Amino acid sequence: MGREVSESCVESLLTEMVSSYCTRFYADKPDLAARRIEAIGYQVGHQLSERTQSEPKPVYEANIKPGYTMERPRFSDHLEAIKFICKDFWSELFKKQIDNLKTNHRGTFVLQDNKFRWLSRMSVDPSPENTGSAQDPSTDENKAAQATSMHLYFPCGIIRGALSNLGIPCAVSADISNLPACE
Amino acid sequence: MIVCVAVVGHQNNPLYIQSFTEADDALKLHHIVHCSLDVVDERVNNPKKSGPTLNETFLGLLYPTENYKVYGYLTNTKVKFILVTTDLDVRDADVRNFFRRFHSAYVDAVSNPFHVPGKKITSRTFAERVSTIVKSFGLSSAG
Repeated sequence: MGREVSESCVESLLTEMVSSYCTRFYADKPDLAARRIEAIGYQVGHQLSERTQSEPKPVYEANIKPGYTMERPRFSDHLEAIKFICKDFWSELFKKQIDNLKTNHRGTFVLQDNKFRWLSRMSVDPSPENTGSAQDPSTDENKAAQATSMHLYFPCGIIRGALSNLGIPCAVSADISNLPACE
Repeated sequence: MIVCVAVVGHQNNPLYIQSFTEADDALKLHHIVHCSLDVVDERVNNPKKSGPTLNETFLGLLYPTENYKVYGYLTNTKVKFILVTTDLDVRDADVRNFFRRFHSAYVDAVSNPFHVPGKKITSRTFAERVSTIVKSFGLSSAG
Protein backbone atom coordinates (compact mmCIF):
# COMPACT_ATOMS: atom_id res chain seq x y z
CA MET A 1 0.00 0.00 0.00
CA GLY A 2 2.86 2.38 -0.70
CA ARG A 3 1.86 5.28 -2.87
CA GLU A 4 4.23 8.18 -3.27
CA VAL A 5 3.86 11.87 -3.92
CA SER A 6 6.45 14.31 -5.13
CA GLU A 7 8.42 16.20 -2.54
CA SER A 8 7.46 19.57 -3.97
CA CYS A 9 3.82 18.74 -3.29
CA VAL A 10 4.60 18.09 0.35
CA GLU A 11 6.57 21.31 0.65
CA SER A 12 3.80 23.31 -1.02
CA LEU A 13 1.27 21.77 1.33
CA LEU A 14 3.32 22.73 4.37
CA THR A 15 3.92 26.26 3.15
CA GLU A 16 0.23 26.69 2.40
CA MET A 17 -0.74 25.27 5.78
CA VAL A 18 1.43 27.75 7.64
CA SER A 19 0.26 30.62 5.50
CA SER A 20 -3.46 29.74 5.87
CA TYR A 21 -3.27 29.35 9.62
CA CYS A 22 -1.34 32.59 10.02
CA THR A 23 -3.25 34.81 7.67
CA ARG A 24 -6.73 33.36 7.40
CA PHE A 25 -7.76 31.17 10.29
CA TYR A 26 -6.09 32.85 13.20
CA ALA A 27 -5.05 36.10 11.59
CA ASP A 28 -4.75 38.14 14.78
CA LYS A 29 -3.68 35.38 17.08
CA PRO A 30 -0.29 34.02 16.09
CA ASP A 31 -0.03 32.05 19.32
CA LEU A 32 -3.18 30.11 18.58
CA ALA A 33 -2.04 29.49 15.02
CA ALA A 34 1.29 28.21 16.32
CA ARG A 35 -0.39 25.90 18.78
CA ARG A 36 -2.77 24.54 16.16
CA ILE A 37 0.06 23.83 13.74
CA GLU A 38 2.03 22.15 16.50
CA ALA A 39 -1.00 20.01 17.37
CA ILE A 40 -1.28 18.86 13.77
CA GLY A 41 2.40 17.97 13.90
CA TYR A 42 1.83 16.09 17.13
CA GLN A 43 -0.73 13.79 15.56
CA VAL A 44 1.41 13.25 12.47
CA GLY A 45 4.44 12.40 14.60
CA HIS A 46 2.36 10.02 16.68
CA GLN A 47 1.22 8.07 13.64
CA LEU A 48 4.57 8.22 11.84
CA SER A 49 6.39 6.80 14.82
CA GLU A 50 4.01 3.83 14.88
CA ARG A 51 4.76 3.18 11.25
CA THR A 52 8.51 3.69 11.40
CA GLN A 53 9.15 1.60 14.46
CA SER A 54 7.26 -1.33 13.01
CA GLU A 55 9.33 -1.57 9.88
CA PRO A 56 12.00 -4.20 9.84
CA LYS A 57 15.51 -2.94 10.37
CA PRO A 58 18.13 -3.79 7.76
CA VAL A 59 19.84 -6.89 9.03
CA TYR A 60 23.57 -6.60 9.74
CA GLU A 61 23.96 -9.04 12.56
CA ALA A 62 25.21 -12.49 11.68
CA ASN A 63 23.19 -14.40 14.21
CA ILE A 64 19.78 -13.76 12.69
CA LYS A 65 18.05 -16.98 11.77
CA PRO A 66 17.08 -17.12 8.11
CA GLY A 67 13.37 -16.72 7.45
CA TYR A 68 12.72 -14.24 10.26
CA THR A 69 12.30 -10.52 9.75
CA MET A 70 13.63 -8.75 12.76
CA GLU A 71 11.58 -5.83 13.91
CA ARG A 72 13.10 -3.06 15.86
CA PRO A 73 13.95 -4.10 19.41
CA ARG A 74 12.25 -2.18 22.16
CA PHE A 75 14.07 0.87 23.49
CA SER A 76 15.71 0.42 26.83
CA ASP A 77 16.07 4.06 27.76
CA HIS A 78 15.50 7.62 26.62
CA LEU A 79 18.80 7.86 24.82
CA GLU A 80 17.90 4.91 22.63
CA ALA A 81 14.61 6.55 21.69
CA ILE A 82 16.32 9.85 20.88
CA LYS A 83 18.88 8.02 18.76
CA PHE A 84 16.03 6.35 16.92
CA ILE A 85 14.58 9.80 16.22
CA CYS A 86 17.95 11.07 15.03
CA LYS A 87 18.67 8.19 12.72
CA ASP A 88 15.73 6.16 11.48
CA PHE A 89 12.88 8.59 12.00
CA TRP A 90 14.77 11.52 10.50
CA SER A 91 15.83 9.38 7.51
CA GLU A 92 12.23 8.45 6.88
CA LEU A 93 11.15 12.06 6.92
CA PHE A 94 14.07 13.90 5.39
CA LYS A 95 16.27 11.23 3.77
CA LYS A 96 19.18 12.16 6.00
CA GLN A 97 20.16 11.78 9.63
CA ILE A 98 20.61 14.40 12.29
CA ASP A 99 24.07 15.90 12.00
CA ASN A 100 24.82 16.51 15.63
CA LEU A 101 23.31 15.36 18.93
CA LYS A 102 24.25 16.96 22.23
CA THR A 103 22.94 16.31 25.69
CA ASN A 104 23.45 17.63 29.14
CA HIS A 105 22.67 14.22 30.62
CA ARG A 106 19.93 15.79 32.65
CA GLY A 107 17.08 15.44 30.22
CA THR A 108 17.89 18.05 27.58
CA PHE A 109 18.91 17.03 24.08
CA VAL A 110 19.96 19.30 21.24
CA LEU A 111 19.45 17.91 17.75
CA GLN A 112 21.17 19.83 15.03
CA ASP A 113 20.37 19.53 11.37
CA ASN A 114 22.67 21.55 9.14
CA LYS A 115 20.51 21.41 6.08
CA PHE A 116 16.87 21.22 7.09
CA ARG A 117 15.00 20.10 4.04
CA TRP A 118 11.77 21.97 4.53
CA LEU A 119 13.54 25.31 4.92
CA SER A 120 16.10 24.84 2.19
CA ARG A 121 14.07 26.93 -0.23
CA MET A 122 13.05 29.72 2.10
CA SER A 123 14.20 33.22 1.49
CA VAL A 124 13.71 36.44 3.34
CA ASP A 125 12.44 39.35 1.34
CA PRO A 126 14.93 42.24 1.58
CA SER A 127 12.42 45.01 2.23
CA PRO A 128 13.18 48.64 1.44
CA GLU A 129 11.69 49.84 4.77
CA ASN A 130 14.86 50.95 6.47
CA THR A 131 16.86 52.32 3.58
CA GLY A 132 17.47 55.50 5.52
CA SER A 133 19.80 53.91 8.03
CA ALA A 134 22.61 51.46 7.58
CA GLN A 135 21.43 47.87 7.43
CA ASP A 136 21.79 46.36 10.86
CA PRO A 137 22.77 42.70 10.82
CA SER A 138 20.56 42.04 13.82
CA THR A 139 17.43 43.16 11.98
CA ASP A 140 18.27 40.72 9.22
CA GLU A 141 18.43 37.96 11.78
CA ASN A 142 15.17 39.07 13.31
CA LYS A 143 13.44 38.99 9.97
CA ALA A 144 14.82 35.54 9.27
CA ALA A 145 13.70 34.34 12.69
CA GLN A 146 10.22 35.74 12.25
CA ALA A 147 9.79 34.31 8.80
CA THR A 148 10.87 30.84 9.77
CA SER A 149 9.53 30.51 13.30
CA MET A 150 6.02 29.68 12.15
CA HIS A 151 7.37 27.03 9.82
CA LEU A 152 9.24 25.35 12.63
CA TYR A 153 6.21 24.59 14.75
CA PHE A 154 5.14 21.70 12.58
CA PRO A 155 8.42 19.76 12.80
CA CYS A 156 8.53 20.47 16.54
CA GLY A 157 5.09 18.93 16.82
CA ILE A 158 6.18 15.91 14.82
CA ILE A 159 9.11 15.29 17.15
CA ARG A 160 6.97 15.77 20.24
CA GLY A 161 4.33 13.36 18.89
CA ALA A 162 6.88 10.71 18.04
CA LEU A 163 8.61 10.93 21.43
CA SER A 164 5.40 10.88 23.41
CA ASN A 165 4.23 7.81 21.51
CA LEU A 166 7.49 6.15 22.54
CA GLY A 167 6.69 6.95 26.13
CA ILE A 168 8.71 10.14 26.67
CA PRO A 169 6.65 13.23 27.49
CA CYS A 170 8.65 16.26 26.43
CA ALA A 171 8.64 19.81 25.15
CA VAL A 172 10.33 20.69 21.89
CA SER A 173 11.51 24.08 20.74
CA ALA A 174 13.38 25.09 17.63
CA ASP A 175 16.05 27.59 16.88
CA ILE A 176 17.51 28.71 13.60
CA SER A 177 20.89 30.26 12.97
CA ASN A 178 21.25 30.95 9.26
CA LEU A 179 18.93 30.70 6.36
CA PRO A 180 20.42 29.22 3.21
CA ALA A 181 22.34 31.87 1.36
CA CYS A 182 24.74 32.20 -1.48
CA GLU A 183 27.63 34.52 -1.95
CA MET B 1 -7.70 -22.38 15.44
CA ILE B 2 -7.56 -18.80 16.50
CA VAL B 3 -10.33 -17.96 18.89
CA CYS B 4 -9.69 -14.31 19.62
CA VAL B 5 -7.32 -11.45 18.86
CA ALA B 6 -7.09 -8.23 20.82
CA VAL B 7 -5.25 -4.93 20.65
CA VAL B 8 -4.71 -3.18 23.94
CA GLY B 9 -3.36 0.35 24.23
CA HIS B 10 -0.59 1.55 26.45
CA GLN B 11 -2.91 2.44 29.30
CA ASN B 12 -4.39 -1.04 29.09
CA ASN B 13 -7.45 0.31 27.34
CA PRO B 14 -8.94 -2.07 24.77
CA LEU B 15 -8.65 -0.82 21.21
CA TYR B 16 -9.91 -3.82 19.33
CA ILE B 17 -11.26 -7.19 20.42
CA GLN B 18 -12.54 -9.70 17.92
CA SER B 19 -13.51 -13.28 18.53
CA PHE B 20 -13.72 -15.81 15.76
CA THR B 21 -15.92 -18.55 17.15
CA GLU B 22 -19.65 -18.40 17.58
CA ALA B 23 -19.85 -20.89 20.37
CA ASP B 24 -17.65 -19.44 23.03
CA ASP B 25 -18.76 -16.82 25.43
CA ALA B 26 -17.30 -13.45 24.43
CA LEU B 27 -17.03 -12.42 28.03
CA LYS B 28 -14.82 -15.36 28.90
CA LEU B 29 -12.47 -14.43 26.09
CA HIS B 30 -12.35 -10.83 27.24
CA HIS B 31 -11.49 -12.09 30.69
CA ILE B 32 -8.66 -14.22 29.36
CA VAL B 33 -7.28 -11.27 27.44
CA HIS B 34 -7.51 -9.10 30.52
CA CYS B 35 -5.63 -11.61 32.66
CA SER B 36 -2.93 -11.92 30.06
CA LEU B 37 -2.21 -8.19 30.39
CA ASP B 38 -0.87 -8.86 33.87
CA VAL B 39 1.47 -11.46 32.48
CA VAL B 40 2.69 -9.01 29.87
CA ASP B 41 3.45 -6.39 32.50
CA GLU B 42 5.25 -8.94 34.58
CA ARG B 43 7.40 -10.08 31.67
CA VAL B 44 8.31 -6.53 30.82
CA ASN B 45 9.15 -5.43 34.32
CA ASN B 46 10.97 -8.51 35.53
CA PRO B 47 13.11 -9.76 32.71
CA LYS B 48 14.28 -13.31 33.29
CA LYS B 49 17.88 -13.90 32.34
CA SER B 50 17.06 -17.25 30.80
CA GLY B 51 14.00 -16.00 28.98
CA PRO B 52 13.78 -13.89 25.85
CA THR B 53 15.96 -10.80 25.83
CA LEU B 54 14.65 -7.53 27.11
CA ASN B 55 14.28 -5.96 23.73
CA GLU B 56 12.15 -8.50 21.92
CA THR B 57 8.81 -7.38 20.61
CA PHE B 58 7.44 -10.92 20.52
CA LEU B 59 6.77 -12.12 24.06
CA GLY B 60 5.91 -15.70 23.24
CA LEU B 61 3.53 -17.98 25.04
CA LEU B 62 2.15 -16.05 27.97
CA TYR B 63 0.33 -18.81 29.74
CA PRO B 64 -1.68 -21.88 28.86
CA THR B 65 -5.17 -22.22 30.35
CA GLU B 66 -7.42 -25.29 30.23
CA ASN B 67 -8.23 -25.10 26.53
CA TYR B 68 -6.35 -22.12 25.23
CA LYS B 69 -2.89 -20.82 24.58
CA VAL B 70 -2.28 -17.11 24.81
CA TYR B 71 0.51 -15.35 22.91
CA GLY B 72 1.62 -11.79 23.40
CA TYR B 73 3.44 -9.12 21.40
CA LEU B 74 4.50 -5.71 22.62
CA THR B 75 5.39 -2.81 20.36
CA ASN B 76 7.72 0.08 21.07
CA THR B 77 4.75 2.32 21.65
CA LYS B 78 3.54 0.01 24.42
CA VAL B 79 0.63 -1.31 22.39
CA LYS B 80 -0.04 -4.98 23.09
CA PHE B 81 -1.39 -7.58 20.74
CA ILE B 82 -2.92 -10.68 22.34
CA LEU B 83 -3.68 -13.87 20.47
CA VAL B 84 -5.81 -16.66 21.94
CA THR B 85 -5.76 -19.98 20.14
CA THR B 86 -6.99 -23.50 20.72
CA ASP B 87 -4.34 -25.18 18.59
CA LEU B 88 -2.23 -27.65 20.46
CA ASP B 89 0.80 -27.66 18.21
CA VAL B 90 1.47 -24.11 17.13
CA ARG B 91 4.82 -23.33 15.60
CA ASP B 92 6.69 -20.32 16.89
CA ALA B 93 7.41 -19.13 13.37
CA ASP B 94 3.72 -19.09 12.51
CA VAL B 95 2.83 -16.96 15.47
CA ARG B 96 5.66 -14.53 14.78
CA ASN B 97 4.55 -14.27 11.19
CA PHE B 98 0.99 -13.68 12.33
CA PHE B 99 2.02 -10.87 14.64
CA ARG B 100 4.16 -9.26 11.99
CA ARG B 101 1.23 -9.07 9.57
CA PHE B 102 -1.10 -8.01 12.34
CA HIS B 103 1.28 -5.23 13.31
CA SER B 104 1.40 -3.93 9.77
CA ALA B 105 -2.42 -3.95 9.54
CA TYR B 106 -2.55 -2.11 12.85
CA VAL B 107 -0.11 0.56 11.65
CA ASP B 108 -2.22 1.15 8.57
CA ALA B 109 -5.38 1.45 10.67
CA VAL B 110 -3.77 3.93 13.06
CA SER B 111 -2.40 6.07 10.21
CA ASN B 112 -5.97 6.93 9.30
CA PRO B 113 -6.29 10.67 9.99
CA PHE B 114 -9.84 10.14 11.21
CA HIS B 115 -8.74 7.69 13.83
CA VAL B 116 -8.46 9.20 17.29
CA PRO B 117 -5.54 7.71 19.19
CA GLY B 118 -6.84 6.01 22.32
CA LYS B 119 -10.28 5.28 20.95
CA LYS B 120 -11.39 1.95 19.53
CA ILE B 121 -10.43 1.05 16.01
CA THR B 122 -13.58 1.20 13.91
CA SER B 123 -12.15 0.65 10.47
CA ARG B 124 -13.85 -2.05 8.43
CA THR B 125 -10.76 -2.47 6.29
CA PHE B 126 -8.80 -3.35 9.39
CA ALA B 127 -11.43 -5.89 10.45
CA GLU B 128 -11.32 -7.50 7.01
CA ARG B 129 -7.54 -7.64 6.94
CA VAL B 130 -7.50 -9.19 10.38
CA SER B 131 -9.96 -11.89 9.42
CA THR B 132 -7.89 -12.63 6.30
CA ILE B 133 -4.75 -12.99 8.39
CA VAL B 134 -6.58 -15.20 10.90
CA LYS B 135 -7.92 -17.47 8.17
CA SER B 136 -4.52 -17.88 6.56
CA PHE B 137 -2.98 -18.66 9.93
CA GLY B 138 -5.29 -21.63 10.30
CA LEU B 139 -4.44 -22.90 6.84
CA SER B 140 -0.69 -22.67 7.11
CA SER B 141 -0.41 -24.55 10.38
CA ALA B 142 -2.83 -27.25 9.28
CA GLY B 143 -0.75 -27.96 6.17
